[in-house]
Amino acid sequence: MIKVLQGGTQTTLQDAGRIGFRHLGIPGSGAADKLCFALANYLVGNEWDMAAFECALGGLHLKFESDTVIALAGAEMWAQINGQNHANFTAVPVKKGDILTLSFARQGARSYIAVAGGLTGESFLGSASTYLPAKLGGRSGREIKAGDLFDLNAPIGESRTLLKGYKPYLSSHVILRAKPAPEFDSLTAQSKRHLFVSAYKATPQTDRMGSRLRGNKLDLISGSTVKTSMVSSPLLPGTLQLPPNGQPILALVDGHCTGGYARCLQIIRADLWQLGQIGPGTRVSFRRCFLSEDAAALTRRNAFYGGLIAGFSF
Amino acid sequence: MPTIADPLIKPYGDFALYLRYSCEGYSAPINDRILALAEYLRQNGNWIDVVAAYETLVASFDPSKLSLAEAQKQLSGAVQAVKKADHRRSKPASQTIVDIPVYYGGSSGPDIENIMSKSGLSHDGVIAMHCGPVYRVCMMGFVPGFTFLSEAPSALHHPRHVQPRLSVPSGSIGIAGWQTGIYGLSSPGGWQIIGRTPLSIFDAAREAPFMLKAGDNVRFVPQNGPFPERGPSHEAGQ
Repeated sequence: MIKVLQGGTQTTLQDAGRIGFRHLGIPGSGAADKLCFALANYLVGNEWDMAAFECALGGLHLKFESDTVIALAGAEMWAQINGQNHANFTAVPVKKGDILTLSFARQGARSYIAVAGGLTGESFLGSASTYLPAKLGGRSGREIKAGDLFDLNAPIGESRTLLKGYKPYLSSHVILRAKPAPEFDSLTAQSKRHLFVSAYKATPQTDRMGSRLRGNKLDLISGSTVKTSMVSSPLLPGTLQLPPNGQPILALVDGHCTGGYARCLQIIRADLWQLGQIGPGTRVSFRRCFLSEDAAALTRRNAFYGGLIAGFSF
Repeated sequence: MPTIADPLIKPYGDFALYLRYSCEGYSAPINDRILALAEYLRQNGNWIDVVAAYETLVASFDPSKLSLAEAQKQLSGAVQAVKKADHRRSKPASQTIVDIPVYYGGSSGPDIENIMSKSGLSHDGVIAMHCGPVYRVCMMGFVPGFTFLSEAPSALHHPRHVQPRLSVPSGSIGIAGWQTGIYGLSSPGGWQIIGRTPLSIFDAAREAPFMLKAGDNVRFVPQNGPFPERGPSHEAGQ
């Protein structure tokens, strides 16, 4: 059994998400950073997609009421077990009575805490991922809070160590490779330049649904048939939208399934995991992806991490 | 059946395609075609998500299993297959009409005065006009249960609020430009709210969580008296 002593800024239970229901208005949800989530599970010997805690920005305190193995992967939150430092991206056995504390994120925004055997949450459409706006999955569809108890499941494999090269690079300046989204061509030449040669900063309005960015103002070509406010049309995670005030919004895993703002850029699939490491204050830049460069990047990344983590792909 | 020009298809990033039929405002035949295409795609091929809107559609795929060129070929093929089938079909897929009880005006519909003053209609006139047509459910989303309906009568058209409300109660019925729709969840929103239904369009705890789906038909039925607020038992667990 695990007892939650403090829930932190926002801790939710997440797995690989409920995929394929966007036409019903149900976003995929799931771990915002799929890669670090999969690595946390890998380290404790789990299947890559078993439910784990996703702690945003820090502050989670857990007490273990029985022996088990845990691993942390993701944002650097100066984790300690009984006051002793615990290294990120490593698995460690914990004993009955041990207390894990995460302080505030110094680098990256979300950390995954996987437990051997995985955690159990309420399932909706085949996933235990928490989706706060509709109170789906997890624990009553809400954030984890002090006093919550989680049962342990039987471990399914031995804990593992991560070879050095596999540790993802997390930075407070995230660079995302992007391709045009449907309304990209309606941006002014100067706006396109802004997108690829400047940095935007994530504002405090940043959560699992999206991140409002601040930086050089973006505009649509005047007289364009595309307006900043359009008839609703489908929207994907990783789309950079342009609302009327000219300051873009990046949609994340819990983002709306349709939207009415011009869609400027789409982050390539191989880089979507990085969206989960954007927190308030993170600098965000975009790099233009041309032709099949993106497909090659995805193939390489899938081969690299798929070779390590059984069944995993970006 | 009117002729519909072939749609524009273009990549939407590296793992989705965007499709758009050309039209101004709302077009029932185009929405029919879009919904038929979405259904066809869900049954044919390995698409991850197929989301249809009024005149646009986005289909996502796993680019490690399907190349962009192959995905484009499959989508174009589907467009032609659905076009052929559409010419043969004589009547729309769904004929059933779902009645939606609505409490108009007052605290359930705080913006009904805006519609009255713009249209010159009386309170009852707005209600009668809004309840007149049978609406098509064109799409679901942006959040679970949000129901985007076909065009409202033109006298009721009204722009969104410049400053969206921080919270619109679930079940609220609104107008935005020519669109009308139902808020399935309490959420922020900028639509002009004219009424509210006590029905839960989406309820995860229900055996059938989704009351409506794209392609269904709905009709609004005005109710008298105050809005029946749900008892505390209904809110339990929230």
